Amino acid sequence: MKFTPRPLSENVNVSKTHPLAELAWMLGGLALILLVFYLLVGQAVEVVAERLPAGAERWLGRQALKNFAVAENPELDRRLQTLLAALPVDSPLRRRDFQVWVAATDEINAVALPGECIVVFRGLLEAVASENELDMVLAHELGHFAHRDQLKGLGRGLVATFLTMTLFGNDSSAAGLVASLTLSFDARYSQRQEAAADAWGLDLLVARYGHAGGAVDFFARLSRRDDAPRLAYLRASHPHPEDRIRNLERRIAERQYRFETVVPLDSTRLLAEPPRP
Amino acid sequence: MYVTNIETIPGKTIVEHFGLVQGSTVRAKHIGRDLMAGLKNLVGGELKGYTELLSESRDEALQRMIREAKAMGANAVVNVRFATSSVAQGAAELFAYGTAVRVE
Amino acid sequence: MLRVLAQNADLVIFLFLTGLGYTAGSIAERRHYRSISRREAELLHLPVVTFKNPYPEESVRSGVMMMGSVVISIDYFKRLLAILRNIFGGRVTSYETLVDRARREAVLRLKEAARQKGCDMVVNLRLETSTIGQSANSRNSVGCVEVLAYGTAIALRRL
Repeated sequence: MKFTPRPLSENVNVSKTHPLAELAWMLGGLALILLVFYLLVGQAVEVVAERLPAGAERWLGRQALKNFAVAENPELDRRLQTLLAALPVDSPLRRRDFQVWVAATDEINAVALPGECIVVFRGLLEAVASENELDMVLAHELGHFAHRDQLKGLGRGLVATFLTMTLFGNDSSAAGLVASLTLSFDARYSQRQEAAADAWGLDLLVARYGHAGGAVDFFARLSRRDDAPRLAYLRASHPHPEDRIRNLERRIAERQYRFETVVPLDSTRLLAEPPRP
Repeated sequence: MYVTNIETIPGKTIVEHFGLVQGSTVRAKHIGRDLMAGLKNLVGGELKGYTELLSESRDEALQRMIREAKAMGANAVVNVRFATSSVAQGAAELFAYGTAVRVE
Repeated sequence: MLRVLAQNADLVIFLFLTGLGYTAGSIAERRHYRSISRREAELLHLPVVTFKNPYPEESVRSGVMMMGSVVISIDYFKRLLAILRNIFGGRVTSYETLVDRARREAVLRLKEAARQKGCDMVVNLRLETSTIGQSANSRNSVGCVEVLAYGTAIALRRL
């Protein structure tokens, strides 16, 4: 049988698309899908948050509470009740039963959990210098409850991260990338929530004390201690302390709140060890 | 274009041959098929989605092989063989290879 | 600036490896294809066929089974493309060049072995592809492809 060698010019087994073009298309498509999903989930989370029955919310809060080593603090409880008494008579928060707990870590923070739970970290109790400052923090957390932020906070970023983890595996770089992206988006959203809670808390502080003294002191001290660059705050859940101070001062000027002397804090009773149950 | 996996085309004679021709394709499944297959894993039975996917891919590999044979000036491909292997997570490579010949 | 990089270390490493995979990978691929084209042109006169013996028994001097095999690995960039393809489905073009190179290289090595032994033709060629090692299908590793080409190299009697 005759053999005729025929050289081939075209390689049929290789597609002609450029790999970078393909990468761009697929990344674009992926970003689009994630965006649509994110928006849909965000809407769904908000709808659920509106309609969640109180019993379910308390259950969620109890589960979240298990993450912290908490103890009761009757002194803090008393301050909270005094603060609540300063609310306007028609405020929906009056009908709800708030509890406050102290977590035994040195972090300077406080969180609002579902089910009317406020967790204050011990580090914060040690860092506040006046009663006004402490009440500002509590009022800020009550502001979150007033805006129903406590459930929305659990929403989108978590769902997106969970989905990426199931699709790509727990420790893949894709999951890490999506997690950091969505959490930073959520950080902008929650920075708006934080600013709104700040404003609401300021109003409550003034209702309680009659003046706005001590509202910005805590953040001013924090910002002097904190040397993280502003860029880090892009991805943090709280705005930069200087931004918070600026917004608060602007609101104080708008509402023409007065400044008077603050009440120094006697922290011995506050930081006392809780009685053994 | 005759394609067969025996040595000759019945009723014709091979006049000249041009050597090996091969066609291959690598195909991946997408999330939708994956989910359906995951559900099917519970009850067992034929995974129609995957069957379709693989036979489409096999067709494409065959078409590529035929294109290469045509470019060589052949009008038949004899002794065709197929092979499947999994080269990546969720992707399978299918290829077909045979000898390009001219029959009369 | 350095602190931002340090905080996002895993992202930076990922981007770096992808870039490295793309540049080094395409350079290596082009070089390999040039070598393949050159050797295919040289060995074009030695046919490789899949049917059995086309020549009558008397004219065949010897027939020896020969093999050519190669293992080629993918780069990080191709792996990224394959992972994205897994979502959308369709042709994984980044792997196409990989298996194409591997197959052609294996057949070339078979031809070279046949030429060294002074054979005229390789008949009854079979190709086997596999992915070896535990790196094949696990999520975190880079894959590789092994191709084996084997056939019988026959030497014809000089008439």
